[in-house]
Amino acid sequence: MASRDVVHYDTPLQRVLRVLAVIFVVLYLIWTLLPFVIMFVSSFKDLLAAFKLPEVGDWMGIGVFFDFTPTYKHYATLFQENNFGRYIMNSLIAAGGSAVISVIFGSLAAYSLSRVDFRGKSDLFFWIISTRMAPVVAVMVPLFAIFRSLDLVGTLPGLILAYTTFNLPFAIWILKGFFDNVPYGIEEAQMVDGATRFQAFTSILPLVAPGIGAFIVLCVLFAWNDFLFAAIIGSGGAKTLPVATRELVQPQNIQWGAIMAAGVVTTAPMMLLGLVIRKYLVTGLTMGAVKE
Amino acid sequence: MSQTLSLSQTTLDAVDRFRARKVSVEVEARPLSAELPTPTSFNPAARKAYYFYLMAPAIALLAFISLYPFFWLIVMAFQKGDMGAVEWVGFKNFTDLASDGRFLSGWVLLFKYSAMCLFLQVGIGVLLAVIVNGSRYEKFLVTALLMPMMMAPAVAGLLWLFLYNGTFGWYHWIFQSLGILETGSILSSAKTSMYALVLVDVWQWTPLITLIALAGLKRVPRDQMEANMVDGASPARNFFAIVMPNLYPVLLIAVLLRFMDNFRFIDHILVLTGGGPANSTKILPIYLFEVAFKFFDLGRGAAIALVLLVVTIILGKILVGVFDRPTSGGR
Repeated sequence: MASRDVVHYDTPLQRVLRVLAVIFVVLYLIWTLLPFVIMFVSSFKDLLAAFKLPEVGDWMGIGVFFDFTPTYKHYATLFQENNFGRYIMNSLIAAGGSAVISVIFGSLAAYSLSRVDFRGKSDLFFWIISTRMAPVVAVMVPLFAIFRSLDLVGTLPGLILAYTTFNLPFAIWILKGFFDNVPYGIEEAQMVDGATRFQAFTSILPLVAPGIGAFIVLCVLFAWNDFLFAAIIGSGGAKTLPVATRELVQPQNIQWGAIMAAGVVTTAPMMLLGLVIRKYLVTGLTMGAVKE
Repeated sequence: MSQTLSLSQTTLDAVDRFRARKVSVEVEARPLSAELPTPTSFNPAARKAYYFYLMAPAIALLAFISLYPFFWLIVMAFQKGDMGAVEWVGFKNFTDLASDGRFLSGWVLLFKYSAMCLFLQVGIGVLLAVIVNGSRYEKFLVTALLMPMMMAPAVAGLLWLFLYNGTFGWYHWIFQSLGILETGSILSSAKTSMYALVLVDVWQWTPLITLIALAGLKRVPRDQMEANMVDGASPARNFFAIVMPNLYPVLLIAVLLRFMDNFRFIDHILVLTGGGPANSTKILPIYLFEVAFKFFDLGRGAAIALVLLVVTIILGKILVGVFDRPTSGGR
C-alpha cells in the first residue's frame, strides 16, 4: 500500500474526468433516492397536496413538493380500516417461520454435506441450487395444484411451506460454505474430550452463528418481499404486506396516500435489517458466488 | 505385520473419506469455502450413514416441495382441464404452444427486456463501481445504493406507478419537463411501456451490479497495476489490461444472476402494466401467470412452465460451471 503515499498530480484531462465522475455520482444518487423521498413525504401528505405539481418545464416550481401540512391520517387508515396490524403479523409469521425451518433443516444438511463425500454429490448440489433458481411462476403452477388438494391454499402453513421452496436450498447452499471453513479438528478435539458426534456438531455451531444469523435475516427478507406466492398461495386467509398494499389499488379508487404509507411500513424494517447484515448482503444476493 | 498393514489401510481410508472436495479460492468460486487444510486426523470417520441421517430431513422436505411438484408439473403438462375432471391430451399442450403467438412473442419480449436491463445495469453499475471504489465517501455511497434492493419489488412497482402517473406523477413531470415525453403516461403507450419497466429494474438492481463489481475491484492485484504503471502504461491501458480481466468473472456471474432473476421476478411488471398495453410488456413469465392463474388453464400453463424451467436449468448449469471454474491462469 506504499503507493498510496506517492504524490500524484492530475493532468487536466484527469481533472475534467474527476469532475464528470462527481456529477455522475450525484445525479445517480438523486435518481436512486428521490423515489424514497417522494414515497416518504407523500405518505404524510393530504391527497390534494400530494397531487400538486408545478407547470411542465417550471423547474423553479419544485418547491411545491414541500408545501404541505403533515398528516398522519394515512397511517391511521391503514391500521384502523385496513387491518394492517394483522397483515404485519401474517408477514412476520410466514417469513419468520420459513426462515427458521430453512435454517434448522438447512444447517443440518449443510453440515453433513460439508463433511462427507459421496458419489452424485455434485448432482445433489445442482438439484438444490436449481430449486432456488427456478422461476417462481413456473414452480407455482404444480405447487398450487398440490396445495389446493391438501387445503393449504390461503393458510399460513401453506405460505411458510411455499417460501421454504426458495429459502431451504438457499440456506443449504450458503451455510455449507460456512461449515467448510470450520476445521474438522475442532470436532475431533471435542470428541476426544468425550463429546458424542452430535455434541461435537453443536459445539461448532457458535463458530458459524454470525453467518447463520445473517442468513436467517436474508431468508426473512426474501420471504417478506415476495409477492407472487403470497398473492396466489396466500390469497384469502394469509394476506401479507405486499399483497395488502397491492389491494389498495382499486379500479375506482386508488388510495395513493395509504399506498405510500403502506410502502413505508413494508420497506422501513427491511432497510434496517439490510443495514444490519450489510456485510453478508452481496454474498447472500449472489448465492455466495461473490464475497466482499 | 498384517495387523499393522490393515490398520494403516483403514486409517488411509479414513483420511481419504475426509478429503474435502477441492474448492477453489478464486473470486468466482464460492468464496466462503476456503480450501480445507489437509486432514491430519487418524480417528476413524463417522459412518456415512450418520451424515445421511442428518441430511435426510432437509432432503425429504425439499423433495416434497420441489421434486414432487416437478413430477406433477410433467403430468399436468399432458393433461387438459382442472384437477378432478382431467383428460389426457398427449403432446397437444406443447404442439399448441408452437402456434401460439403470445408464447413466441413472450420469449422475444423477455430477451428484449433482459438485454436492455442488463446493458444499462452493467454499464452504469461498473462505471459507478470504478468511481466509488476507494473514494472517501465509499461507505456512505454504498449504503445509499443499497436502499432500492431492500424494497419489495411489488411495492417498488406501486411506488413507480405513482411516480409515472400521467396527472400527478413527479417522474412524469420530469420527463415532460425534459421534453422526452409528450402527453400521456409512459405506461399508457405500447411504444414506451417497456422502457418504463426497464427503468424500474435498473433503478432497483443496478446497485447489485455495482456491489458485485466493487467486490471484484477489491481483488484486483495492486502490484500488477503498479508494475504496469512503472512500465509506462496509461491509466486507461491499466484499466483494460489489468482491471477488466479480473473483473470479467464476477461480472459474468452478475449478468447470469440478473438474467435468471428476470425470469424469476415479475412482481413489479404485474403491478405496473400486467402485460399491457396491447401486450407490449407481456414477457413470458407474465404470460404464464395469466394462463395459469387468470384463465386457470393449468395444463397449458404447465407446458409453458416446463419449457421455462428447462431453459432456467440450462442457464443454471452454465452459472454453476462459472462458479466452479478453476483459475484462468496468470496469477
